[in-house]
Amino acid sequence: MGQHYDVIVIGGGHNGLVNAAYLAKAGKRVVVLERRHVLGGAAVTEEIFPGFLFSEYSYVVSLLRPEIIRELDLPRHGLETIREIRRHSRVDAEAYEEFSKMMVPMCRFVKPILSMIPPDPTTLNPRDLKQFLFLLQRFRELSSDERYTLVQLMTMSSADFLDQWFETDVLKATMSASGIIGTFLGIRSPATAYVLLHHYMGEIDGAFRSWGFSRGGTGAISNAIASAARELGAEIRTKAPVAKILTKNGRACGVVLQSGEEISAGVISSGVDPHLTFEKFLDPSDLPSDFLESVRHYKFRGSSGKVNLALDALPNFKCLPGAGAHLRGAISISPAMNYMERAYDDAKYGQYSRRPYIDMVIPSLTDPSVAPPGKHVLSCFVQYAPYKLAAGTWDEQREAFGNNVIETIAEYAPNIKGIIIGKQVLTPLDLEREFGLTQGNIFQGELSLEQLFFLRPVAGWAYYRTPVDNLYMCGSATHPGGGIMGANGRLASQVILKDWKRGAFRSKAAN
Amino acid sequence: MPLGQRVVLIGGGHNALIAAFYVAKGGFKPLVLERREMVGGGAITEEFYPGFRASTLAHTLGPLRADIVRDMQLYRFSCEIFSPDPRVFAPAPEGKALFFYNDTAKTAAGIADFSQKDAAKYTEFAESLESISEVLTQLTSMTPPAIDKPSPEDFWNLFKTGRGVRRLGKEGIFNLFRWSPMAVADFVAEFFETELLRAVIAARGIFGNVLGPWSAGSTAVLLLRAAADAHPVGSASFPRGGLGSLTRVLAESAKEAGAEIRTDAEVEQIRIKDGAVTGVVLKGGEEIAVEAVVSGVDPKRTFFHLIDPSLLDPVFANRIKNFRAKGNVAKVNLALGGLPSFSALESNEHALRALSGRIHIGPDIDYLERAFDDSKYGGISKAPYLDVTIPTILDPALAPDGKHVLSAYVQFAPLKLMEGNWDSRRRELGLTVINTLGAYAPNVSSLVEGVQVITPEDLETCYGFTGGHIFHGELALDQLFTMRPVLDWARYKTPIRGLFLCGSGTHPGNGLTGASGANAAREIIRELR
Repeated sequence: MGQHYDVIVIGGGHNGLVNAAYLAKAGKRVVVLERRHVLGGAAVTEEIFPGFLFSEYSYVVSLLRPEIIRELDLPRHGLETIREIRRHSRVDAEAYEEFSKMMVPMCRFVKPILSMIPPDPTTLNPRDLKQFLFLLQRFRELSSDERYTLVQLMTMSSADFLDQWFETDVLKATMSASGIIGTFLGIRSPATAYVLLHHYMGEIDGAFRSWGFSRGGTGAISNAIASAARELGAEIRTKAPVAKILTKNGRACGVVLQSGEEISAGVISSGVDPHLTFEKFLDPSDLPSDFLESVRHYKFRGSSGKVNLALDALPNFKCLPGAGAHLRGAISISPAMNYMERAYDDAKYGQYSRRPYIDMVIPSLTDPSVAPPGKHVLSCFVQYAPYKLAAGTWDEQREAFGNNVIETIAEYAPNIKGIIIGKQVLTPLDLEREFGLTQGNIFQGELSLEQLFFLRPVAGWAYYRTPVDNLYMCGSATHPGGGIMGANGRLASQVILKDWKRGAFRSKAAN
Repeated sequence: MPLGQRVVLIGGGHNALIAAFYVAKGGFKPLVLERREMVGGGAITEEFYPGFRASTLAHTLGPLRADIVRDMQLYRFSCEIFSPDPRVFAPAPEGKALFFYNDTAKTAAGIADFSQKDAAKYTEFAESLESISEVLTQLTSMTPPAIDKPSPEDFWNLFKTGRGVRRLGKEGIFNLFRWSPMAVADFVAEFFETELLRAVIAARGIFGNVLGPWSAGSTAVLLLRAAADAHPVGSASFPRGGLGSLTRVLAESAKEAGAEIRTDAEVEQIRIKDGAVTGVVLKGGEEIAVEAVVSGVDPKRTFFHLIDPSLLDPVFANRIKNFRAKGNVAKVNLALGGLPSFSALESNEHALRALSGRIHIGPDIDYLERAFDDSKYGGISKAPYLDVTIPTILDPALAPDGKHVLSAYVQFAPLKLMEGNWDSRRRELGLTVINTLGAYAPNVSSLVEGVQVITPEDLETCYGFTGGHIFHGELALDQLFTMRPVLDWARYKTPIRGLFLCGSGTHPGNGLTGASGANAAREIIRELR
C-alpha cells in the first residue's frame, strides 16, 4: 500500500474542496482525488475554443454560504463576485414588491436549516428532539400570513403559487422557471414551489435573491476554494480517478485509483453521488441490502443540457433590438406558462423539448476577460433534456438537440445563426460522462420533497455518515442539496471531526 | 348557550346528515335544508333514462367510518350493502386482465401471471398500506390541532398519533414522510414492474383531483384514501338501490335522533349581524332565525355566495379565494340493452362476478398521464381514465329485465374548455367514453340505449360543487389537515361566530366516509354548549 492520509476526499467538486479545506483547517492530513484535469466538478471554467473561457456547466453564483466565504477567507484566494444579474426586468407591479417582501422571511426561516445537520425523526434522542422543537418554535413565531405562505412554498406547484400573486402570463412563466431548474417536474407539478424558494435563497452580501458571476467564470470559485484548502495543508491531485473504495472488516480504509495505485486513509469522504459511491466504488457485499435498495430508489433523472456558444457579436433581440442592460443579466426564453408545461410534456415521454426553456447569460459583457475583444460567450442552460430517451441515443441526437436550441433562440434573436463561431453541446449523457453526474442530474439527485432534509439521500442516512464505517458523504446528494452552496461539504466536515473526537477512528489512525 | 336551540345545516349531503345526527344527539334541534327535491348531495339515486336508475354521481362507498355506522345504528334500517369480490377488474387492451380480490393471496396469484416478483411484492405492499392506514385513520378522525394555542385535547391527540406513528417503526416512519410528497408513479414503481398493476394502484392517487400520476404529492391522495380503506385498490361496495339508499337511511337515522329535514328549501343567504349568524333566508323569502349555521356546502359557495363577502376579513377571504377547487372529472351513465362482453373475459359465471365490482380502464402510467396532459390545456382526454361500475349485476332492479346500467367516472374533463363549451361538447364526451370502453368490450356501442353526461359544469350548477370539484376542493398537500380549507380555520369553526363547516372542504375530505361531518359535529357541540 502506498501513502497514508487521515482523510481521502473523492471528487474535487466545490463540496469536496470545501470539505477538504475544513478538515485540513482542523489539522488533518487530507488528499483530494479528482478524476479530471481541472478542479470544480460541475463548477469549472474551461477554454473550449481558443480565447473563449466558459463556465462550462454551472454558470451563476449565489448560493455559496456566506459563512464559508468568511471562514475560508475566499476573497483573499481570488473569489470575486460580480453582482450584476437582474434575473428579469423589474416589473413595476405592486405585487412584485409585495412578493419580494414576503420572500424575505421565508428565506430567513429556511436559512438556518441550510446550516443544520438534519435531525432524525424516528428517535427520541434529546439532541434530535431539540432540533425539531427549534423548528416548530420558529414556525410558531411566524405570523399567520408567513406560515400560510411557507406551507404553500413547501408543497404547492410554482404555477399555482404564482397564480395567486400575479396575472401576467410571461412574468409568471419566467418566475416559475426557478421552480423547475434541475428537476424533472413541470411548473404545474406540486412541490416545485420549494425549488423556487431554494433558488431564491441566493444570497450575496446578506441580500437574498441576488445572483452574480464570478470573475473568471465559476471555475474561479472552485480555484479559490482549492487555493484556500492547499494553504491549509490539503493535498489536491487531479487526473486521479478512483476505481474502488477499499474496505476491511466493514470499515473503509482506502481507495484504489484506476491506475492501480492504492492510497490508505482513516476516513473516506465521498463528494460524488450515491450511485457512484455505493454502486460503483463499493461491492454490494459491503452494504446492507435494504440500504442498497434505497440507493437504487434514489432519483437522479437529469432533465437539462447546456449549449455554450462562442459568438462573433452580440445577439440582437427582436423585442429589444441593440445592445443594452438587458443583455447583461439573465435572458430567459419562457414566453408562457403553457410553453413551459408543454416543454415538460415532451420530456415525460422521453423526448427533448421541441421548444425548450432556455436560460441564457453573456458573462463576457460583465467580465471581458473571458472572451477575445469584441467577441462574446453565450451560455445556455436548456431544459428539458431527459436522460432516458424514448428513441435513439444522446450520441445520435446531440447535434439535433443543439440545433433545436439555436432554432429556438433564433425565433427571438434571428441574428444568432450568423454569429456563432464555436458551439459546445452538453447532453445529460455528457454530464454523466464528463462530470460524473449520474444521469446528468446537476444536483446529484432530484430536489423533490421526498429527497430533502432528513431524507437526503437515503432515509436514516442523512447525517453524512454511511452504513460503512469511516465512509462519509459530502456532496450535493446530501442535505441541503445542490447549487454552488458548499454547505454540504462544511456540514460533513463537522460530522467527521465530531466522530474523530469521539475516537471513532482511533484504532485505524494508530495503524 | 342552552341546549335545545336551533341549528340549521345547509345542504343535505352525507356529511351534513351525519353532522345533523350527532348534533341532535348532543341535545340541539338541527334543521337540514336541502335545495333539491331529495337529500343526498353527491350520493343519490335517480332515474336518468326511462326505466333506468343509477347512482348518478358517486357510485361506491368510501366506506363510511365504522364508528359512524355504529352510532347511527344503520344496520337497523333496511339497507343492504353489496361488497363485490373481486373489488376491481382491470383489463388490458391485449386481452389480459388483473383481478383484485379481498384476499391478498388470491390477488397475488393472479398477478403472478404477469410477474412473479410483483406477486410477492403485492403482499408486502398490502401489509405496509394496512399498517400505515391505522395511523392515518387516527389522523382523519381528529380535529386538526390549533397551532398557536393547542388545547389539552390537541396535545392528547398528537400524543396518541405520535404513539401510533412510533409503532410503525423506523422504516415505517420514514416511509410515511417519504411517500406522502411523492409522485404516485414513482411510488408504485418502487414496488411493481407490471404497468397495468402500477396503473390500477396509481389511479387511486389521481382520482377526483387535478393530478396526473407524475404529479408530486399524488401519493398523499392515495394514502388519504387508504385511511378509509386500506385495501390497495380501495372500496367497491355500494348499497342496494344505489347510493341514494345510503343517504336516505342516514336521513332516517338523523330524523329519529330528532333532526328535521326539509327538501326543496334552498338557502339564499346567511344573515350576519355584528360578526355572528342570526338566521338564514330561503329562496322565496322565508327567514329562519337560528343560533348556529352549519354549512355542508363547499367553502367557496359558503363564503362567496351565501354571505356578503364584504363582511369577511380580507385575509381570510383571500385564502378562501385561493382554495383550489377546479374540477377535472365528469360522469357518464349508460343505459344498456344487455351486459357488455369484455374481450378479457369469457362469458360465464366468472365473468359476471368479475364485472360486479369496479372496472378500471387505464392500462399504464403513460396512458393516465396523457389523459391528464390533454386537460392541462383545456381539452377533454382523448383516451380517458375510467372508473366504471355495472351495479345492475348485483342489483337488477335498477334497470328493466335483462338490461343494465353502466356508470363511469371520467378523467380528465376540465371545467373550462379551451374550445367550445360544455353544452356543445357534452355529446362528444359521451362518445369518447363509449369508444374507450369499446376497446375492451367491443359490443358496448351496440348496447347503448341512453346516455347521461354530467359535465364539470353540471357538477357546479346541478350538484352545487363550486368549480365542479367532487371533493369540494383539491386534495393537495397544502389543502389538507391543518390547512383544509385554509390555515388557522381547519377546526370546522369560521371567523363568523355561530357559522361552521362540515362538508368535504374540511379535514379530511377523503370521499364518502362521513369523517368531516362527524368531526365537525364534535366541535360544534363543544362550541355551542
